[in-house]
Amino acid sequence: MLEVKAVSKNFSGVSAVEDVSFTVNENEYVTLLGSSGSGKSVLLRLIAGLLTPDEGDVFLNGTPITDLPCHERRIGFVQQKYALFPHLNVYDNIAFGLRHRVIDPVKDESIIRKKVQNTIELVGLVGQETKMTGQISGGQKQRVSLARTLVTEPKICLLDEPLGALDANLRERMTIELQNIRRELGVSFMHVTGNEFEALAMGQNMLVMSDGRIVQQGAPQDMYARPQDLITAKSMHNFNIFSGDDLSAQLKAGTSDKLPATKLKDAHFCAIPMDKIDISDASAKTSGLSAEFLTSEFLGNKIIYFFKIENGDVCEVENHMSLRERRELKANATYQLHWKSKDILYYGENKQLLG
Amino acid sequence: MRSNKGTWLLLSPGIIWITLFLVAPLIMMIYVSFWTQTTFSIKPDMTVVSWVNFFSSDTYFGALLRTIRIWFTVLMVTILVGFPVALYIGQFIKNKTLQTALLVTCVIPFWTSFLIRVLAWRPMLGKEGAINILLQKMGIINAPIEVLLYTELSVIIGMVQIYVVFMVGPIAFMIGRIDGSLIEGARDLGASTWTIFRRIILPLSMPGVIVGAIFVTVMVLGEFATASALSGRKVNLLGNIIITQVGSLKWAFAAVAGVVLTVVMATFVAIMLRIVNLRNQL
Repeated sequence: MLEVKAVSKNFSGVSAVEDVSFTVNENEYVTLLGSSGSGKSVLLRLIAGLLTPDEGDVFLNGTPITDLPCHERRIGFVQQKYALFPHLNVYDNIAFGLRHRVIDPVKDESIIRKKVQNTIELVGLVGQETKMTGQISGGQKQRVSLARTLVTEPKICLLDEPLGALDANLRERMTIELQNIRRELGVSFMHVTGNEFEALAMGQNMLVMSDGRIVQQGAPQDMYARPQDLITAKSMHNFNIFSGDDLSAQLKAGTSDKLPATKLKDAHFCAIPMDKIDISDASAKTSGLSAEFLTSEFLGNKIIYFFKIENGDVCEVENHMSLRERRELKANATYQLHWKSKDILYYGENKQLLG
Repeated sequence: MRSNKGTWLLLSPGIIWITLFLVAPLIMMIYVSFWTQTTFSIKPDMTVVSWVNFFSSDTYFGALLRTIRIWFTVLMVTILVGFPVALYIGQFIKNKTLQTALLVTCVIPFWTSFLIRVLAWRPMLGKEGAINILLQKMGIINAPIEVLLYTELSVIIGMVQIYVVFMVGPIAFMIGRIDGSLIEGARDLGASTWTIFRRIILPLSMPGVIVGAIFVTVMVLGEFATASALSGRKVNLLGNIIITQVGSLKWAFAAVAGVVLTVVMATFVAIMLRIVNLRNQL
């Protein structure tokens, strides 16, 4: 079990990680979602021991490891750039940790061969053993990098945007494979990503990081349905965020339902899921929020319509093809947007969910 | 291979250049080494007399062995001295500007002429030179160390100082190219600093060592000025032999020495290139 307690890190006065605390349990897949510059890579490096925190402590199975050098921590770190050794072949890259680690190096080549072969089978690299790292594809490099870490049987494995450099098809396959590999080994994974789909799909537990702080942690489905924090809501890329002085007027315009009066009074921001908004023509009898249609984006199984509302903000409406037929809208024409009261999430001045 | 003509046209400047200024002179040198040499003239009658003389004479064959010995010593010392400097510049200096500044500092001695650089060692190493005075003042020695100047040692010291920068440059370049993430990766896999140096940095810097070794070799094997200036003409290298032979118009003999020198160099460069595949590494 990994515990991070009140860890902070500054770089020449600029705070990169601030008062971060969380726990990764045994045999758990945790995802950490954050945009670039949110401090997520720094946090991983602090855990791995490649950086030292200014404040706070890191514990592994109850033992403080904050002052332990990186090579004595037994925490696996799969780097974003793979960092494979270019002068070694795939086999020797994977065997590196077993052969050359300070603690408990394996001297018996037959044991090394067995362990490396098992890991090669696990990550699906059979037949690539003698190739140099320059001769294999991006996806294979990623597997070598993962295998190289897993073969050393780390207590926890940190993955820094492991799928970032892979193409979409391969990424989808690797999401499933990563989960299978983890389950088979029973080791905890902490997977850092800037992609909300990856974070939602892979994590049993999910952390959202912004400006060096953890803003929310919990199960992915809760995170998606009811983000407790406005930043989380934004990072899900599934919500239209409404704000401004005319907030309640905007919300009322879009629905005939009765809105909760106290929440409406306290709300500084509101979030409405993109797929919970309906579009009707301006001439329709029902009331709605007037919006100018800008453009649409066709994504195969869904289509996203972009509207400009009166205060100049852009509002996105997602239309799943399985639910509704595709509508042809006229550019620069005015339409009306509708929603239901139950779909609106209200956030206070502190950007926390109300009620 | 669409246009053979075009290919040859593009290649021709290089081919012409190499033929005119490398292949032709080399063939000429080999050819002349078999000419018949009399005291003041040389005739194109083929003979192996010059070759036999070269290898049967202690003076000349000894000069070859001495040249190889001094070259090898200088090469080893430049690696031993140059590698730590390059490692420091390439790995420990993270600021690129400072890295460049330090490399430029290494070549500052080259702003003065070659002869001055060599002769500057005389007041340093001499019997009443700076080093002897300093050591005597500090009470480390009683009498001046005489072996410092006009010996093989002084030639080696002078050459190392002049040529070490050609070793530092390529190694620092290769070490500077090693991605920091490789070192972090190795550390995370549990390797100690020494293991990282031995298993990652050293093998990845080998192409730099090879290039540096080739630079130093080519320059040291052809050297004559440092040897004559710092040894008081006591240490004769193959280069010095060529100078004196050419001076006394013994072209055939000078050509033999030249061919021998070229063969030694070419053999070394070929071996080096076999050890490290530069094309893959650079």
